[in-house]
Amino acid sequence: MEKRRLNRRDFLCLSATVAAGAVAAACAPATPQIVEKEVIREVPVEKPVVVEKEKPVIVEKEVVKEVPVEKIVKETVIVEKVVEKPPEKPVAPAGPAKVVIMHFLHEFTEDHVKLFEEENPAITLEVIQAEPTRFFAMYAAGSPPDLLRVQAPSVPQYLARKMLYDLTPFFEVSDVLKLDDLAPANDYYKGYSALEIGEGPIYGMCKDFSPDCTIFVYKPLFEDAGLEVPSDTKPLAYQDIVELSAKLTKFEGDRTISFGYAYEAGWVDRFMMNMLGELGQSVYSEDFSKLVLVDNEEAYAVAKYYYDLAAEKLAQSSINPSPAGWFGNDFTQGILAMAQYGFWYGAMAESDVTAGQVIMIPGPMWAGVRRDPTLTATGMIMAADTKVPEAAWEAFEYYNAGAPAIERAKSGWGVPALKSMWGMMPSGTEYEQQKLKALQAELALETSPLQFNPFLGETTVADSWSTQLDRALQGEITFDKMLANVESEVNAAIQEGIDRIL
Amino acid sequence: MSAAQLRTRHTGLWRRLSSRKWRRTSWFYAFIAPWLLGFVFLWIIPLVLGFLTSMTNYDGLNLANVKFLGLRNYARSLGDPDARFSFGQTLKWTALNLPAWMILSFILALILNRDVRGRGVFRTLYYLPSVIPIVALVWIWRIILDRNVGLLNAVISLFRPGTAIPWLTTHALQGLTVIAVWSGLGWGMIVFLAGLQDIPDELVAAARIDGASTLQVFRYVTLPLMTPVVFFVLINGLIGSFQQYVIPQLLTPEGTLSSVPPRSVYLSMVHVNREVFAFQRFGYGTALLWLLFVVVAALAIVVFRTSRYWVYTEAKEK
Repeated sequence: MEKRRLNRRDFLCLSATVAAGAVAAACAPATPQIVEKEVIREVPVEKPVVVEKEKPVIVEKEVVKEVPVEKIVKETVIVEKVVEKPPEKPVAPAGPAKVVIMHFLHEFTEDHVKLFEEENPAITLEVIQAEPTRFFAMYAAGSPPDLLRVQAPSVPQYLARKMLYDLTPFFEVSDVLKLDDLAPANDYYKGYSALEIGEGPIYGMCKDFSPDCTIFVYKPLFEDAGLEVPSDTKPLAYQDIVELSAKLTKFEGDRTISFGYAYEAGWVDRFMMNMLGELGQSVYSEDFSKLVLVDNEEAYAVAKYYYDLAAEKLAQSSINPSPAGWFGNDFTQGILAMAQYGFWYGAMAESDVTAGQVIMIPGPMWAGVRRDPTLTATGMIMAADTKVPEAAWEAFEYYNAGAPAIERAKSGWGVPALKSMWGMMPSGTEYEQQKLKALQAELALETSPLQFNPFLGETTVADSWSTQLDRALQGEITFDKMLANVESEVNAAIQEGIDRIL
Repeated sequence: MSAAQLRTRHTGLWRRLSSRKWRRTSWFYAFIAPWLLGFVFLWIIPLVLGFLTSMTNYDGLNLANVKFLGLRNYARSLGDPDARFSFGQTLKWTALNLPAWMILSFILALILNRDVRGRGVFRTLYYLPSVIPIVALVWIWRIILDRNVGLLNAVISLFRPGTAIPWLTTHALQGLTVIAVWSGLGWGMIVFLAGLQDIPDELVAAARIDGASTLQVFRYVTLPLMTPVVFFVLINGLIGSFQQYVIPQLLTPEGTLSSVPPRSVYLSMVHVNREVFAFQRFGYGTALLWLLFVVVAALAIVVFRTSRYWVYTEAKEK
């Protein structure tokens, strides 16, 4: 018999085979399913409508076939992933449970965890830093976090992908989170479908919010320019901002000494949507399959408004950037006259430089209609795939109605998501009282939420805008070309999104 | 098989297993196994998965209905104007950064290789930027290079009031080069210094006795003997230049990882990041990374192949 020695090559082959086997084993389901169930759902809808408001008649065909274990091949086409519904009457978890929460660690702190675990000894919380890459990896591995920090623009996409747990039954029986106590901003987390946000089942809620179009005014720069400080009861028009900024922005040679106006460039699409919302229009076509900027006269005008602000250096941009890296810091350093930010920014708008000289004024109008929605609605959702919905709900309730929520309400960093907590906002100083007065007028508007595009990422439009705007400002392309480029980039992304999601 | 044959076979196997050579071999593989497993699980498998991802429309969340696209993502890059633009900018940046960094590092190493007082202090000082966290480092430079309140423009304004050169936007490529060269100088200097200290004193002394000037010693002794080090630094610098991402990202007006860098420093890695995270094109982004890998590998091969003409090795002399 021929003797064979184990040489290095054999060893490497063997190692690779063992490794591949281990990976294959790890990737395989824990228990092989012998019976494969094929469910075909016929939903009479047309692309790109995701789900009809009134549930269509669903024709279910169930094909049950037995396949030997060794011959199982993945051949089932899942037409529509059915979201597991929560129990009719949610009950507290019977046994020990661990809830994984992906959040900002400075918002869901160790102290919060400790307090919760003292009150709920059967539940362990693991809070991990919110980070997209990690979230994608966890989701791909089939173990997404049970609770996730999100912003409103992501909600429609997650809803379209059936990633959200319907929390309505939990809310209906909760003692602390009552549906009628939820501030209107929480409507961002409600929806009959991804294209009908605002009403219907509820999938999450804000941690807090702000009407985000308000403007913080640093009075001395107005006085230096010989201008009257804007009223905190009468809203400006967007055109007024251009005129004011032209007078407030000061140059010394080519250098900008002080800035007239700044807004959050990453939200430019949201501002545009809100401005068009005054006219009952959107930057998207009705079925959300296209971004329409060039062929919609009003959208074109709104886009031109933001381009002109940048091109004429009346707002911060890549050709006239913030010296501090963020206009919020420029404001507190006293070199920015108008910072368009929500109520939350009020908690830090007063610095040693600006103390006693700041007021918050209403959000401006584009077409004479008052609208001031929250543009982020940062909050929390529960993953549809959670294995511990009851325990996760306990943590959800705690964060949104318990000690952390009260702490947030008293801090003044945003408006509490529960109306019953609005009285907790700080009102001790004249500045705080002025902010609250202006805030009340904005809240009274009860502005309907913006309908974000479910086929796009949270930052796709703003990213494309920012890239193309920079090209236009550098003289590489014209404004019209810039707009066409944004449309084309975003529309390609929408089409891909539709293909991936539907 | 008879009992005797079986016994003989077992005895042979036992003898083989207990032999010294076998034991040594076993220990060898036992010791390299952790690295080997790490290599397989952390390199080979991710690379294979990455390659497979590059042929799909994966967006991070659509694992259930991911589509196989074949080579379409690779073909798409050819018609992607931003991919072409970013590649062009990457070449420009490499052509600007690599020679500047290598030459300055070499000159610094030559200076600090001389027997001067306090050279240890200078070596430490020049190496210091290499140990500063990159975010802090970029922010230091932002303070210096800012358009409106930067120190550099303030100094220039002493002679030409109101100067506001946009070092970090319109001229961001130059700004990026200054920052990258400055931050990498320490590492380059240390490597060149190690090479210089390896040059035998006898060779330099012999050249001097033969009447060679300082320049001639450098040209005919130092430089040839330093070519292996130059080769090493060149390969590393080349790869590093193509992988540059963090500094351009931190040069964005907002200085955050989610904002878009100025157009002049819209490098290949920036484009990849944008495609993956802003446009949710994980598949396409991964295909771009593979193409970048191919380009870097091809350039590295060119450098390797040409090295026989300019890298001095003792083996060649034999």
